[in-house]
Amino acid sequence: MFYHPLRNELWKLFGKKRTYIGFGAFLLGQNAMLLAFRFTRWQEHMERLLRGNGYLAEEYVSALTVAVVMLIPQVILLMPLYAALVGGDLVAKEAEDGTLRMILARPISRFRLLLAKWVAGIIFSASLVLVLGVTALIFARIWFPWRGMFVFAPGMVFNVFSPADGLKLYVWSHLLMTLNASVILALAFMFSCFNMKPAAATILALSYLFVNLVVEGIPFFEAYHEWLLPYHFRCWLLVYADPIAWDRIIGSVVVLVAANLTAFLIGQAAFQARDLKS
Amino acid sequence: MIQLEHISKRFGGRLAVQDLSLEVPRGEIYGLLGHNGAGKSTAIGIMLGQVWPSGGRVRICGHEVTRDRGRALSKVGAIFESPAFYDYLSGWRNLEILSSYTRPTPPGRIREIIEWVGLSGREHSKVRTYSHGMRARLALAQTLLPEPELLILDEPSDGLDPEGIHEMRQTILRLHREMGLTILLSSHFLNEVEQLCGRIAVLSQGKKVFEGSLAETRHRESRVRLDTPDFAGAAGQLRAAGLIRDAVPEGNVLLLNGGVETHQVVRFLVERGFAVNGIAREQRTLEDFYLSLMETERGGKRPVGGPAAWPAN
Repeated sequence: MFYHPLRNELWKLFGKKRTYIGFGAFLLGQNAMLLAFRFTRWQEHMERLLRGNGYLAEEYVSALTVAVVMLIPQVILLMPLYAALVGGDLVAKEAEDGTLRMILARPISRFRLLLAKWVAGIIFSASLVLVLGVTALIFARIWFPWRGMFVFAPGMVFNVFSPADGLKLYVWSHLLMTLNASVILALAFMFSCFNMKPAAATILALSYLFVNLVVEGIPFFEAYHEWLLPYHFRCWLLVYADPIAWDRIIGSVVVLVAANLTAFLIGQAAFQARDLKS
Repeated sequence: MIQLEHISKRFGGRLAVQDLSLEVPRGEIYGLLGHNGAGKSTAIGIMLGQVWPSGGRVRICGHEVTRDRGRALSKVGAIFESPAFYDYLSGWRNLEILSSYTRPTPPGRIREIIEWVGLSGREHSKVRTYSHGMRARLALAQTLLPEPELLILDEPSDGLDPEGIHEMRQTILRLHREMGLTILLSSHFLNEVEQLCGRIAVLSQGKKVFEGSLAETRHRESRVRLDTPDFAGAAGQLRAAGLIRDAVPEGNVLLLNGGVETHQVVRFLVERGFAVNGIAREQRTLEDFYLSLMETERGGKRPVGGPAAWPAN
């Protein structure tokens, strides 16, 4: 019953070039960062930081370390952009093109159609993060050896791991990043269920995240950080902390799942009430 | 197959459809006419559950659309003006996608329909490479998948060239004849409606202003062309005798009063010494009827016999 609508959404989603912009941008971004790390003083700074804390730099300037270094700016800058771009298209683009009317002349319920789109969006988020993680590791491995992992995020994490533990945590962090991407996508999806252009849905979702970030940076709102999404988005970095703050991670996961479901339900309600006319 | 009972739809302050009731029986080709903004597309949207009615009930194939949309639309195919497709996918993939929203369709059935509409050989090309005519065929193909009993066609010939319009018309007739489909056709092409439909409804500003058979549109008013040397004199006497309502010197047209037949007019004139060289009942086209109806609806004086509303036959 649900297989065909979902299969259709995946055909549509992965059949258009626009969907791959994010993947392409990641590849370019990763290579640019990798070259910058390798050929500027960035690597030197990291080695100095490790030595200053009593570690052997040669042991920890590795593929895993560099992969995480490359991830941080991409997760903050590129991932929200491309998740929101695809999320904003999911409903609004079909409404704009007229294909939504063609579908809704058929006996599929609006709920089932949107559910298929939302699940397809989550699959896209997972594939985006998967490609991001795998390619980061592959490109980093081309230039750097497979050794211990060093993760540093100011104020959150400063830790080193064996290659095996590092890889395990790398996978965990990507699962949490998938959740982040799917929440961003669900926000744009929610807006796209209203009567608006795809670009407007994308911009509204990104604006919402931007406002969250700005508010988070204002000292007055320090006590309210837990109400803001970026605070919970950072949970992927916490898997590298020692000890791992599981309570904080689980709390953030619950908030992110709830935000995702809420966005879906608001989108559903708006879409159910809509009149679809050319 | 289609029953609309006192349907109304309000968009903000604008009443797009007002108290619309109509019934399309099984096996009929039913025409829906009206000016732009008359409410045809809104009515079709309501039938397909895409537009929520503000009031009234819609039943398609015996099921209420607002409550049981799944069953109501399970045997329905629809084409909209300028049908939209996933241009970046092939025609075949488009058909697979769209038909599966009704139920999964075996490849054999898709192939059969592709052949039927004449798209064989191009079904695996991307839709963006299709001509307008091919897109119209693809629209028709998706409508026929999996196996509809009712087709709702909203301006299916829109944007087609004369050859395409002719082809579409022949296809609609074939669908009706060979597959026994019930068809609701909304169109601006009055001659198309005239050639295809058995019954029509005319909408104006959201209201139904006429519903009936095409025969009714032709004989709603009796117009005859009288060939006599003294048309003005004959018309004067006929009017005084209450046999005609009006006379139009251009074209020597008489507008008979209800129930008056041509032989009565001839006898009346001959008895009074008028030479009657010929009398012929004028066949009204749907266009004549439609324009006259619209004129009346707009509250304008209907120019009986005037060139705008009554083109000379």
